[in-house]
Amino acid sequence: MADINNTIATTTEVVITGFGGQGIILAGRIIGKAAALRDGKESTLVQSYGPESRGGACSAQVVISDKTIHYPYIRRPDVLVCMSQSGYEKYIDDIKDSTLLLIDEDLVHPGNIKIDFFAIPATRMAEEIGRKMMANIIMTGFFTAISQKISLAAAKDTVAESVPKGTEALNIKAFSKGYDFGLALLKGREKKAAGKIGAIA
Amino acid sequence: MNSFKIILFLCNWGPHAAFQELQDKRADIPAEIKMIRIPCSGRINKSLLFKPFEMGADGVLLIGCSPGSCRYGSGTDIATRSTEDTRQILELLGLKKERLQLNTFLPDEPDALLQFLKNFCEEIKAIGHSPVPSEKQEHKTEESASLAEIISSHDIYACQDCGKCTSACPLTLSGKPFSPRALAGSIIAGDIESPSVQEGIWSCLTCGLCYDRCPSAVNFPDFIQNMRIFFKNKDKNGHESHGGFFQSLMRTMTSPAVNTKRWEILPEDIRIDPDSKTLFFGGCAPYFDKYFNHNLGVSISNTNMDSLRLLNFFDIVPSVLSNERCCGHDLLWTGDLDNFKILAGLNIDAMKNLGIEQVITTCPECYRTLSHDYPEHGIDVPFKVTHMYDILETEISKGAVEFKETGKKITFQDSCRLSRFAGRADLPRKLLQRLKPDIFKEMPETGSAAICCGNTGWTGCDSHSKALQAKRLRQARATGSDLLITSCPKCQIHLKCAMQDPFLGNELSMDVMDLTSMIAKTIYWK
Repeated sequence: MADINNTIATTTEVVITGFGGQGIILAGRIIGKAAALRDGKESTLVQSYGPESRGGACSAQVVISDKTIHYPYIRRPDVLVCMSQSGYEKYIDDIKDSTLLLIDEDLVHPGNIKIDFFAIPATRMAEEIGRKMMANIIMTGFFTAISQKISLAAAKDTVAESVPKGTEALNIKAFSKGYDFGLALLKGREKKAAGKIGAIA
Repeated sequence: MNSFKIILFLCNWGPHAAFQELQDKRADIPAEIKMIRIPCSGRINKSLLFKPFEMGADGVLLIGCSPGSCRYGSGTDIATRSTEDTRQILELLGLKKERLQLNTFLPDEPDALLQFLKNFCEEIKAIGHSPVPSEKQEHKTEESASLAEIISSHDIYACQDCGKCTSACPLTLSGKPFSPRALAGSIIAGDIESPSVQEGIWSCLTCGLCYDRCPSAVNFPDFIQNMRIFFKNKDKNGHESHGGFFQSLMRTMTSPAVNTKRWEILPEDIRIDPDSKTLFFGGCAPYFDKYFNHNLGVSISNTNMDSLRLLNFFDIVPSVLSNERCCGHDLLWTGDLDNFKILAGLNIDAMKNLGIEQVITTCPECYRTLSHDYPEHGIDVPFKVTHMYDILETEISKGAVEFKETGKKITFQDSCRLSRFAGRADLPRKLLQRLKPDIFKEMPETGSAAICCGNTGWTGCDSHSKALQAKRLRQARATGSDLLITSCPKCQIHLKCAMQDPFLGNELSMDVMDLTSMIAKTIYWK
């Protein structure tokens, strides 16, 4: 049976928000480039910065599609990635029921919201590996694992070529941390759904 | 045909009178039965019950006095327990428990005795020969290294006579007249026959604390290991604990025809994949559990089961070696190099046949032996050996798991094989920090400086081992903890043994749990 949803949902609209300086735009750029240059899809990036790149709210809007993209702005994101409370509050009213919401659990407190969300302590994990600035790469890994919108190989290669020379290995490590966390989280949810919460039945 | 070998341990008192009457009557006692007259069935401990099987007996009978008629009161009860435990071990080994039976007779029951002996013979013939050959294949013993070679290869001459080893040695500090430095000196001087050297070689705990402290980096435990091999080849043995039961057990496993059944019963919730290239190696746990069944009530198998549950928790479904044998650690450390190598060879061949790529083990001794001692003794290990804690650390650090609060104040006993030999004292601590204890408090001597649980390799256990255990448990209690976490099955067995002391017991007693089990009990998906 043909999956109707599949033919419609060939376009994915991703909004990444956070503070200026967190590397929000770079994360968006990596996701878009991975899709366009390595996964053979189309993608666009609209970035908002300026005064924001010194600490205000900042966002990247990435569209990934199998077909030519005619309009790069996003009104209702399919995936919303939030790395700051202000970014979250700015975009949370735009989400749909089907929106995939990813947050940095230490920086964003979602309160009562109607949809399910995936949380990762990205900034804390980045601090653990010694580079707070790599939280965006951890988040990119997390996005790759949870959303399945770009391939692992494409994402990894793009991370390696997009970061400053000499920091590739550490960035890949950060990416893998986020990716592994995402997979572990999915696995945990699957297990919980099957009623297997602990190790001892 | 008289090829079956059956050993009959016959109590001197009641049943012997019945047996004698049979002999007087020239009754047709089956010729397969070799009778050994013993003072009391209660004195035939598990190691004596088992020894004939190591030597190739097809059946063993223990015949004592009927309940209530034991001259010493408790003989029959003790015999019942020992037989029960040994039978279970035979079953685990795949030798079948029916090969060992206990019965009791009164002096005036010769006919019943004869009937029983005949029935037993028939039963054994029906089961068939033991897979353990009675004639050990003349095994070419390798020429062991000469004393001079052992001394030079371990660079004993580098000893600066500083005495740091002796001042750190837990055995010396427990009050035993034992000194690694003096021992090294005597051996260099060629004085290897003296009682103090003989005693010293077999008393060393091989815990490695002296090696840790030695400024010349003389690997003393390794040296002791080689000296034990040297003496063993000269038929000089140490005092093996538990009557040498465990060494006997391991030597029995060197027979290729032995097909162990140690993995036969697994709890239903554990998933195993026979085709997996990742193998979980369990070690001797089930044998220990049966052996100490009536004394300590230990449950080392739980550690293995909880390890498997944790692997399953992380979606790792390993295979197990259906015919797993002991890794040989204790044979190696009591000088039996030949049988160690046979065991290693059989284990490795079995794993090779399955195409195993990775072996996971929770036992620090198995870990040490598989990863270090096999290659060290020229046995090729064609797979990666990983300690369970490494797997746990990797998987847990991926995130998305949490730990329930333990509600316990905990302290930790290091394993010498993991914390010192492998230099991984940080590994269990990383995991301990993830747990949520009320308080985690270390004992004064910890990590690579931790003191021994009192014994290694089932040899040389004495009152000083006990003193050492008492000291360690007092340290553990002094931290104010109510739970002692261990990482090695032997630590658990030895420390629990000290808690059985009728005088000190209450003073030393505390809950003991393996780290793996603690993690399995508290971990959950977030």
